[in-house]
Formats: sequence, C-alpha cells, structure tokens
Amino acid sequence: MSDDTTATTTTEQPAPDRAGAPEAGSPGPGAARMLEVSGLSAWYGEARVLTEVSIDVAPGEVVTLVGRNGAGKTTLLRSVMGLHRQIEGTMTLDGADLAKRSADARARAGIGWVPDDRGIYASLTVAENLLLPPVVHADAWPLERVYEFFPVLHERRDFPGTKLSGGEQQMLAMARVLRMGSRLLLLDEPSEGLAPVIVQRIGEIIREIKGQGVAVLLVEQNVTFASTVADRHYLLAQGKVVEHLGNEDFRAREGELLTYLGM
Amino acid sequence: MSEFIQYTLQGLAAGGFYALSALGLAVIFGVLGVVNFSHGACYMLGAVLSAVLLAELNVGFWAALVIVPILMFGFGVLMERLLVRWLLELDPLYNFLLTFGLTLVIVEAVKQRYGVSGLPYQVPAGLGGQVSVGSVNLSVYAIFACLFSVVVCVAVGLLLTKTRIGMIVRAATEAPDRTRALGINVGLWVTPVFGFGIALAGLAGVLAAPTRAITAEMGSNFIIILFAVVVIGGLGSILGAVVAGFLVGLVEAYGIAYAPTYAQIVIFVLMAIVVLVRPSGLFGREEVA
Amino acid sequence: MRSRTVQGTVAIAATASLALAACGGAGGPQSGGSSKLTDDKLVIGLLNDQSGVYKDLSGPNSKVAIEMAIEDYKAKYGDKAVAKDIEVVTADHQNKADIANSKAQEMYDRQKADIILDVPNSAAALAVATQAKNKKKLYINIGAGTTALTGASCNKYTFHWAYNTSVLARGTAGTITKAGGKKWNIVYPDYAFGQDMNKSFTKEITTAGGTVGQSIASPFPSDNFATFITKAGEGDPDVIGSMHAGGDLINFVKQFNQSSLKGKVQLAVGLMFITDIHSLGVDQFAGTQFTDAWYWNFDAQNKKWADRFKEKTNTRPSFAHAANYSAAMNYLEAVQEAGTDDADTIVGKLEGKKINDVFLRNGEIRKADHAVIHDVYLAKVKSSAPEEWDYEDIEKTIPASEAYGEANPACSMS
Repeated sequence: MSDDTTATTTTEQPAPDRAGAPEAGSPGPGAARMLEVSGLSAWYGEARVLTEVSIDVAPGEVVTLVGRNGAGKTTLLRSVMGLHRQIEGTMTLDGADLAKRSADARARAGIGWVPDDRGIYASLTVAENLLLPPVVHADAWPLERVYEFFPVLHERRDFPGTKLSGGEQQMLAMARVLRMGSRLLLLDEPSEGLAPVIVQRIGEIIREIKGQGVAVLLVEQNVTFASTVADRHYLLAQGKVVEHLGNEDFRAREGELLTYLGM
Repeated sequence: MSEFIQYTLQGLAAGGFYALSALGLAVIFGVLGVVNFSHGACYMLGAVLSAVLLAELNVGFWAALVIVPILMFGFGVLMERLLVRWLLELDPLYNFLLTFGLTLVIVEAVKQRYGVSGLPYQVPAGLGGQVSVGSVNLSVYAIFACLFSVVVCVAVGLLLTKTRIGMIVRAATEAPDRTRALGINVGLWVTPVFGFGIALAGLAGVLAAPTRAITAEMGSNFIIILFAVVVIGGLGSILGAVVAGFLVGLVEAYGIAYAPTYAQIVIFVLMAIVVLVRPSGLFGREEVA
Repeated sequence: MRSRTVQGTVAIAATASLALAACGGAGGPQSGGSSKLTDDKLVIGLLNDQSGVYKDLSGPNSKVAIEMAIEDYKAKYGDKAVAKDIEVVTADHQNKADIANSKAQEMYDRQKADIILDVPNSAAALAVATQAKNKKKLYINIGAGTTALTGASCNKYTFHWAYNTSVLARGTAGTITKAGGKKWNIVYPDYAFGQDMNKSFTKEITTAGGTVGQSIASPFPSDNFATFITKAGEGDPDVIGSMHAGGDLINFVKQFNQSSLKGKVQLAVGLMFITDIHSLGVDQFAGTQFTDAWYWNFDAQNKKWADRFKEKTNTRPSFAHAANYSAAMNYLEAVQEAGTDDADTIVGKLEGKKINDVFLRNGEIRKADHAVIHDVYLAKVKSSAPEEWDYEDIEKTIPASEAYGEANPACSMS
C-alpha cells in the first residue's frame, strides 16, 4: 500500500485563475487544483456512505474513482454536484467554497455532470437536450463543433432524446456538457454497457477535452479503460479512500487491483 | 346515429372544461410536484370573478376572458410565494393537505361574501342560440367553449414545444434535479408556472360561467372528476391531461346517454381500469427515477 | 418514484371524495324571570342549513323571522305575556340526517328547547321527527318537502307547516297538464327527494289526463346536463319537468336555455324558490311556471311584512322566512292560550285550529295528519324585474283543499 496522502499535500499554491486554465494544462500532482474535496463524509439517513474522503483534481487532469459497487463513488459525484446534501466536510472549486451553492449555481460555475443513466430527456429532442443548459464559459463548444465532432447527433437532432442508442445517448450526455463549456466534468461510468468501439471513442473525447485544460473526475469500474485515459486514481472501498496511485503504478498493479476490487 | 353524433359533440364540449383545467393541474404537478387540491376552488373563483366583474364593474365576458386569468395568475403567485413554497422540500402530501385546507377557506370566504345560492351570468351576445345540422343540435356557446379550450390547449402545447421557456418547463417536469444540475434555476420557474396553472383553472371558470351554476360549491365536484382525469392521463403528463380531459367528457356523455344512473361511476370505473392496467396513466412514463 | 406514489395518493383521494366540515353554533345561556313555564323560560330551536344550499332560502335569516314573531308576541301581550323570557337557539345541520339527529337531541336535552323549527332536507326532517316523537317535544317542519312527515312518519308532536311535494305536484303538474301540456318527460336527481318528486308528478300528470314518456334519473350533484336535456327532448314532448333543486336546477335551466328545445318545449320546474330566480337572473327563468307556498309581493299584507323583514336583513323574505314567522307566532299564541309550555297541552291547542295570518290564508292545522293546509299559488316568472326580488306573477291561487287533497291515509297518530 502506498502513502495515499503524497499527492494531496504537495505545494501551497494561490487559487488558480480559472480563465487561464488552458495554459495550466499540465497534468499530474502539483498543478493548481480546480476541485478540492477534504474530509467529506456523507449519509443516507442513518447510513454513512462516505468517511472523510479527500480528493483533488487539477485543470487538464483526468482522475478516476475506482471501487466496487456501493463504495460511494456516485454519492461523491452527487455531493460535488450539490444534489446530495446530507454531508460534512469542505469542497472548493477554484478555491471558492461550494457549501452554500445550489446545484444550478455549481453548474453555472463550471461543473458538468454526466450521470450514470446518462440523463437524457425523453420529452426533449436531441437538439433540445444539447441546447437546454446555459453556456457557462468562453471555451464552450459551439453547436457546429459539437455536430462536427458527433455527426450522429446532427443526423438525429429532431429525434426524442431517448430514441438514441445507449452509446449515442452517452455521446449526447457528454456533448451537452461540452457545449455548456463546463470546466470540470463529473463522468459517472461512461463506458458502462457500451461496445468496445464506443468506449474507445469516449476515450478519444476525454483526451481531446483534457488537452483543452478541462478537468475530469471519472467514476469507472473498467480498470483497463481507466488506465488508458487517467493521470491519477483513487481507490474507494466502503466509503474511504484506500489507495491513491499515479497511472504508472496503477498499470503495474492492475492485476492485483482487479483481484482486490473483486472485478 | 345522429343521436350518437349529438352525444359525442356534447361530450367534447364538456371535455373542454376538463382538459383546460387538467392542463393547469398537470403543469403544476410536473414542475413543483404539488397535487393542487385547490384547483377546483380556483376554477370556481374564475367563474365568481367573472360574475362579480360584470355585476359591479360592468366588465363583460370577452374582457373577463383576459382579465380573470391575469388576476388568477396573481393569486397563484401569492399562493406559491406565501404558502406552497415553504412545503416544497417536504413530502408532497403536505402541499396536498395545504391546498385542501386552502380550498375550504376559499369556498367559505366566497359563501360569506356572495352567499350560497349562486350568482347570475348570461351567455354573451352573439353566442346564444343553436346550430343545427340535420337532427344534430348544439348550442353555439358549447361549440365556442369547446373550440376555445382546444385553441388554448394547442397554444399552451406550442408554448411548451416551441419556446425555450417550454423546453425548460418540460425538462423540469421530467427530471427537476437533473435540470438543476444542468445549470437551470428550476426554483425561478416555479412561481410563474404555478401562477400559470392557476390562471388556466380561472380561465376554465370564466368559460363555465355562462353555462354552469356559479356557486361556491361548483368546484367541489369538479375537482374530483379532475383528479380522475389526471390519473387517467398520467400525473404530470401534459398531453395526457388534455387527451384524458376530452376522453372523460366523452365517457360521461355516453354514460348519461346509455346508462344515466351510472354516468359518473363510469368515469371512476375507467380510472380504476387505467390504474390497474397502466398504473402511471395512459401517457405517464413507466419508470421515473 | 415520486410520481407513482403521488399517483396512488391522488387516485385514492379522488375516489374517497371530499368531506367538507363546518361547525354549527349554539346560543349562550340566559337567566330568566318567573312564570308557569318549565325552567322559567321558553326556548325555540332553529335547526336548518346555515352554510349550504338552503342557507339563503331559510338559514340565518329565519332566526330574524322568529325574533320578529317574539317581538310581535311581546308587543301584543305586554305584561300579560305567559312567556317573558324567550330564547332562540340555532344550529347548522349541514343537510345531513345524522348531524340533524344529534343536534336535535342536543337541543331538546341540553339546551332545553321546547320546540324545533324549520329543518329543510327531507332525510334530516325525518330524523328530527323521530326525536320529537321519542322526547315528546314539539317540532314544526317548514323547509322539507317530504310527504312522509304527514304520512308514514307522522306523529303527535310533528307538524308540517309550509308545503310538500304532492302540493307542488298538484299545483304545477296538475295545472299545466289541464292547460294542454299533455306529453311530459321528466328528469330528476337520483336521491330520495328527486325520486319522491318524480312519483308525485307522474301521478298528478296521469290523473290530469297527461302521459309521462320518460323519467330520467341524473346523478346528484351534477353540473353537465346537456346530454340529459337532449334525451329529455326525444319523443317530442310538450313539457320537460326538471325535479332538481339548488345548483343542479340552475345548471339545468342554464343549459336548457342554450339548447334547441328552448322556445319549443315548455320547462316546468318541480321545486323552485325565489332564491333560485335571484341567483340565475329573472330573464333566464322567464315564463317558467312553478308552485309557490307564499310570495312577498302578493298583496299589501305580505308586502308590509316583507318591508319590515327587509329593514332587518336588507333582503326580501322567501316563503320559508314567512313560514318560520307564522309557525313561531302561532306556537307562542298557543302557549299564551294554554298558560303553559307543556307539549301535550300545546298540541291540543294547535290541532284543528283555523288560521289566517301573513303566511297562512284559509289555513287549518289538520288534526288527522298535522299537515297545515293553506292556499298556495301558481307562479310564473316575470320577464323582467321591476325591483330586486320582484320576480313572480301570481297566476292562480290554488285553494287549500285542492292543493292538499284528503288527509294522508298512511298517517296514524297513535
């Protein structure tokens, strides 16, 4: 087991200028932190699902949360988004405290959520699904670029959102937050249940946006996929961070971790 | 056969009132998750306001069609701001009970002020008389009220499908939490949407004034049928509310024509069947997160 | 999840329907002087609908009418009055028989009421008749229409003052049929009163030489009558009879006036009160014929009393207000005559008494069935109102004997 605090206790840097994020795109420990979660505990009623979790993500960095079902990964994402409110601990975005902010204010501050069910509206067309959220940042993808990158969404733009295939819905959910211009993406199991070719495509998208300085917090059970896109990995078990690894270590211990996680 | 056509037209005419009011009920439920029991009382207020505007300020039917919904919108905004808002975080049952209590207050207040035997209101000039085609007869006013309801339902439908406001309302209706997480301040839309729903109930009341008894109790029976309508259509389904509104009007008319004693029971039998076969209603979504 | 649970809740709420509750009031205690009365005072209980459909017809203003009778009684007898301390207690029965029953019990036992007046709504009226019989206390019904009060359910302590359904049927159905309206179709609300009216009307129409093509039951309450009216128009009738009351009647007439039958078929109404004409507007009812037990603008005597009533209430009296006055006044007179409030003695004083007062013309308290028979009137709604509440032309006075017929054979007083 490695020391899981090394990555989070490096330097004290001033709060980064979020407009300058594309320049600060160098991944890895030591970069300016976009999201910082410290000592986060969460409950559902009496049941504690997270215990003093501390993680951080820097601009242009892809960080995964790996763990079994029920380890608390989705709760962590929902807490960051502001949808799960029964929590203790602090969370900051670009150094600003999130505690008092509603989910919609957090979204407008640059957090983009891609839920595990993809969250596509049945009562909205594909185009409306894309156009629903407000544009929150100058680096947001214009609609033309979205359609260029995801031609299938252009073809199906007048279809009800849920008439798309699972893979297409996943594309749509990601395209939606890109068009919004979110600076921090919370991706909840984007590869789940998708064909390998689609998973590969999602990997491409993640690498593309990473290059633009967008930070990604990725919940993933597919360890192999995680290792192809991520810089760092947090292992969650029973609501606690049990390991914190760089990608090289993660790859090296892939077999061991798979066994450990029971995957 | 001509009798059947006659009953069908009468059913559609009655269905217009249901459709219009159920539409408001569905919009409110969709966005706020509130089952507004006071919807029948708001329908009654719409009719009473029309009669009072006419008697005391000489404001006629056509003006009332515009003024009353605006007043009722204001009433809805007050109701949401002062009362409904505070219970939104709790179990939906609390707002159901709140609006139930509010119904009692509104009905009693109207009784105190305007008595119980009702207020007079005439068919507006130009809408009296009948239209006859062969042996089918229908009053001009019934045709007007039905067409007007259809036009309003279509207009609301266009508002919901063709505008950004409508897009937001649809999204918030389908998944309020997710919509918040996409940067939409759903709370900002809650007040106007509630007011809008109440305004629709008021509008149905104005339409009812020339053809129904305007009494404090006129909404008490109406709301029960309205609940059957939204349950049949699927709670929160906007299209469902409109379709079920006309459907219930038809079922009621056929019931009266062919089994008069069971006319109202037939509606609830229909509701029971729908709930058994499709628990989320004809147009409700099966799985809701 | 949320939708499904609430969907269920609403389904249940819709089927369970609604129960609107209200509370009735009761008079406070009072101290009295000395007299030959039990408890040294006379207590008159007014039990009626203080909040629902019959509120305007009788309701709280009937208390005013009773107080007018007390005022007149005291003015008439002054120091010689047997009853010096007279209290009026009121309660709201909400048109429910069970509430009427418990309120009547409370009035007789706890509030020491010597008599209960009014009690509209037939089911409530019959419940109170049973209480009067058991408690051996007086009861004068005014507002209810059921013939059972002077028939199967009649008893020594119960009197029926103003009208009943067979009087309405004789007055309206008999007169219109004899005048040429032979072919009738009837629509009636499907509860005790409506069924009763349907039977009485059918009987009187047939007796007068007419026929009833269809009798159609409508659910109660109902606000959409368009299809009922269409059905009632089938078979080319001369007259359509609506046996509805209150809001149902207003709905029926509004929708009849918008139908193609308006002007082609005559509309006769089984039970109509001046308050209905007032709320719907006189032009909507114009030409409709119905039987009225009393009309405030019939003659100078009525008008004078109506003026006095208006000073106190700012409205014109219905027949029920005048009848409450008349019943209270005659009760007080009987107490005066008997020198006691003993119920059996008072019954003896009332039975067979012939009365002419502001309400009763050629009146007689019929000993056999306790029906208080009197002249009633065939009224026709004016086409426009010369003043507010002036809505009726009295077309014909129907003599007491003709209106009431023979004493009800179903009644046995023992």
